Amino acid sequence: MDQALFETMRLELRRGTLVLAVLACLRTERYGYTLRQALAADGLEMEESTLYPLLRRLEGQGLLTSEWREEEKRKKRFYVLSPGGEAMLAALTEEWRGINASLERIL
Amino acid sequence: MDIIERYLEAVAAQLPTDDREDIVAELRDLILSRVEAREEELGRALTDEEKEAILHEIGHPLIVAARYRKGPDSLIGPELFPYWLFGAKAGLTLIAAVQALGLLIHVLGAPADVGRAIGQAFHGFFSGALTLLGALTLAGAVMEHFNIKPTWLTKWRVRDLSAFGLADPAKWGASLAGSEKAKAEWLPKGARVWGVAVNDKPGVEALVSLIVAGVFVMWWIGVISFPGLGAVHLRGGAVGMEPAPVWAALYGPILALAVGGMAVDAITLIRGREGRLGWFLKIPLAGAALWVLWRLFEAGWWFTLTQGDATARVEGGAAQISLQALRAINEAGRDLGGTALTLGTVLTWVFAIMAISFAVNIVGYMWRIATAKAC
Repeated sequence: MDQALFETMRLELRRGTLVLAVLACLRTERYGYTLRQALAADGLEMEESTLYPLLRRLEGQGLLTSEWREEEKRKKRFYVLSPGGEAMLAALTEEWRGINASLERIL
Repeated sequence: MDIIERYLEAVAAQLPTDDREDIVAELRDLILSRVEAREEELGRALTDEEKEAILHEIGHPLIVAARYRKGPDSLIGPELFPYWLFGAKAGLTLIAAVQALGLLIHVLGAPADVGRAIGQAFHGFFSGALTLLGALTLAGAVMEHFNIKPTWLTKWRVRDLSAFGLADPAKWGASLAGSEKAKAEWLPKGARVWGVAVNDKPGVEALVSLIVAGVFVMWWIGVISFPGLGAVHLRGGAVGMEPAPVWAALYGPILALAVGGMAVDAITLIRGREGRLGWFLKIPLAGAALWVLWRLFEAGWWFTLTQGDATARVEGGAAQISLQALRAINEAGRDLGGTALTLGTVLTWVFAIMAISFAVNIVGYMWRIATAKAC
């Protein structure tokens, strides 16, 4: 099997699901570093250079809210789902389950 | 300055000023969190090399900053790119056709000025091509940046699409390269050339090639001549054009090559198809043509122009295959030396393009032989 091609296709497959994972993880308030650790603990490794801009984009789209707070002697930016984000997460979760069920039948 | 601050400064320089402070503060927290976690793991402070390894994992400042950029990620996005590519291909073909037509008219109208006309055509093509590509890219980038979607992008009709098929230079290219499918698509159905159906491609090609090669051989051995060929007039009077000694040395090989080509064309015409035999015979012919071109390149001196007592050599070589050499054509005067320089550069490009074409043909024939079903 062509490993380089597999890697490209694997990344394409993962790309859409990462947004869903990030939204789901932010039902609980977290800052970037702990969010990344939480995702990794559940088996979804994500590069910082992808995660941090994604958080800002989702905030710009009104799906997250954020605030700077001091914790462990340093100011950190905490993110959490906005009401709009919760609605989006519910809709995307339903969509994901539909796709997953269809794929399960096909596979 | 600390290695982390230096990194953050490099990222900050690429960020929009409005968000710069905010993004850098967040990145600083991320980097320090990772450094602290690693220090806790090792039970000691990290060295600069170890900190740099973490920064490497986070990414190059240009890439990290680019991910925060708002707006499109590319100058021409994937939705617009096929239109850009089509415009570029069709436009370049059109420019080439216009320049070729202009050159033909110029040569017919003023045969004395052929060298300069060829130079101007080359210059016209390259400057037109660069302008076209620049304008297309600028228009595409503006549409991408402002998310402009003209109606021709969204409201197209099937009946308007035929021009796209005809204007696709890739199909012409494929056709010239011998793709039967491409030819079948764009050649008019039922057309005939001198009694041979155009769709009978190998037959037409072989017939045309046979006639052209036949005329060439007759001219080469002196049976026919073309009055006016070589009669060039420049400022200061008539110019004579004498072939360099390399042509005498290659007289026999070129004649043999042309006759060999005619023989292969005749076989194709008689058999009605090229087939493996035709491709097999064309490989050594193309190889021999490459050898002839190599000898010409090696000699580097092709003609001598004479005007009264003055002489100028038409010379060429690898140095002429550069944009600088093409620009020099434009700056070359209309005197004997300038004309020789122009002719030398144009011939160099013609020989180089021919060499590439022969090399591609050899690979193409080998591929066809290897993949063709027994016939």
